[in-house]
Amino acid sequence: MPERIDRRIPGDRLLTVVAVVLAAGLCVGGFFFWWRMRAVAPAINATQQPSAAGQLLNEPLVITLSVPVDGLLVAVPAPVTRQPDTQSLAREALAALFADPSGSQAPVLKDLRLRGFYLDAVGTGYIDLAPVEQREVRASVSEELIALYAMVNTLSQNFEEIKQVRFLVDGREVQTLAGHIDLSRKFTKRMDLVKQ
Amino acid sequence: MRKHFILLSIPFLLLALRADAVSSEKGLMVKNVRFFSYAAFTRIVFELDAAAPYVVMKSDNGRSVTLSAYNGPLSAMVSMPVVHDGVVKALELHQEGSRATIVVQLDAAAGEVKDFVLRGPDRIVFDVMKGVVAAPVAQTERRKLIMLDPGHGGGKDAGIVTAQGQEKAVTLELAEAIKRHLLKKNAELVVTLTRERDQALSLDDRAGAANAAGAVLFVSLHAASGAGTRVYIVDPDEGSLAPAPVAHKTFLDFDAGNEQQERIWGSQQASHTKASGELGRRLALQLGMTGGEPVQAPLAGLKAVDAAAVVVEVGMGQDRSWVAEMVAEGIASYAREDR
Repeated sequence: MPERIDRRIPGDRLLTVVAVVLAAGLCVGGFFFWWRMRAVAPAINATQQPSAAGQLLNEPLVITLSVPVDGLLVAVPAPVTRQPDTQSLAREALAALFADPSGSQAPVLKDLRLRGFYLDAVGTGYIDLAPVEQREVRASVSEELIALYAMVNTLSQNFEEIKQVRFLVDGREVQTLAGHIDLSRKFTKRMDLVKQ
Repeated sequence: MRKHFILLSIPFLLLALRADAVSSEKGLMVKNVRFFSYAAFTRIVFELDAAAPYVVMKSDNGRSVTLSAYNGPLSAMVSMPVVHDGVVKALELHQEGSRATIVVQLDAAAGEVKDFVLRGPDRIVFDVMKGVVAAPVAQTERRKLIMLDPGHGGGKDAGIVTAQGQEKAVTLELAEAIKRHLLKKNAELVVTLTRERDQALSLDDRAGAANAAGAVLFVSLHAASGAGTRVYIVDPDEGSLAPAPVAHKTFLDFDAGNEQQERIWGSQQASHTKASGELGRRLALQLGMTGGEPVQAPLAGLKAVDAAAVVVEVGMGQDRSWVAEMVAEGIASYAREDR
């Protein structure tokens, strides 16, 4: 009589057990997740309170502005609204510099407004400026130099993606802002202009 | 189908031919004329309203070159600039009936004349190379020429305005005082001002004047509110020394490869970094600047100067006669040294 040997493939039952356990785990996990969501959702609707993650996103980000004070640049912390990308966040940082009590009164900066900021793929940031009410920018060499590096240092020190900065006025390249500093070139941060 | 296509194309072809005819009949409209004197050549740039074919004629004796439109009239909306640098004697607009031409009168040092076209904005460029005859400016080599540049000027650019006055007036007054001090004690120097009255000059005009005169030293004077005096030199920009793009042919099959020469303008100061630093240190020490070092800055007014060059910014509230004396002494001590 021929012998019949039924051979079980080793691990076959183990595989089934693992699959069943995983399926059960997923079911339990899914149920738990559903239950938690169900429990949390009415609370939010009822009280209109943001979740912990939402709270973090809405919290302002503190950056360091380089503000012109007495012919040098001074580091000033400033809160800015979080943004989804570097370009938008850098624009917020520049807007904060122009809104800062010292920055808004500084020569050159007080005669200009931020028109836009663009960041290209190689890390060049383009600051697009416009004169306030077509006002002429009048400043000394030192005032013009410090105002430009206030913007350059604010960007370079907070965003490592911004390698260099170029300036535009009304979307175009110009020779200077107040007749002294060459705007046809790229600017990188300068620490010798920062007050120690 | 093919027949229809040909019939439909005819109006467009006629329009295209008409547009081409109008373009060539329009002639040449010159909006502006600029010139730059370099060590090896003088460049004349005719800025055009729109690119169009042109004719260049050289006189029999080789002492003048004439520019005219190939088809249609030539009109110049500006007066010709005064040029006299030993290479180009004059630029003249000649009117013969309805036909106008621009004549470039060449001087003793003029050699070969090259012309080419640049686009965006459209320009016709004449490069007059220096020939074997030395330019008249060479005689100033024995007497060193110092160029003082009173900053700002003219109706639109007064510079900063404070209770002590307008910057354009302060810088002119300071330049005149420095010149007086220099000439009193240094007969071997020639001192020239980029402007001697309330006059608007572009930064390129000022640098061009210094280069054309063969100045060995250029001091641009500015003013600031307050009492401190600062000395600035150009900080080296890596970008300005980048190699020029490869020559290319564009527009009416003319060779536009001289972009490389155009890129020279604005990078002359790069070869004087050391000399400018030395002059800056001397003036900074003389004026009692903290640290005795000039401040490096990307200065638009100095980058095209082909000589040791600095900017001196004097405080409006400062004793200007003292500043004038100190600057004059610093310049004289630098110029006295054999370089």
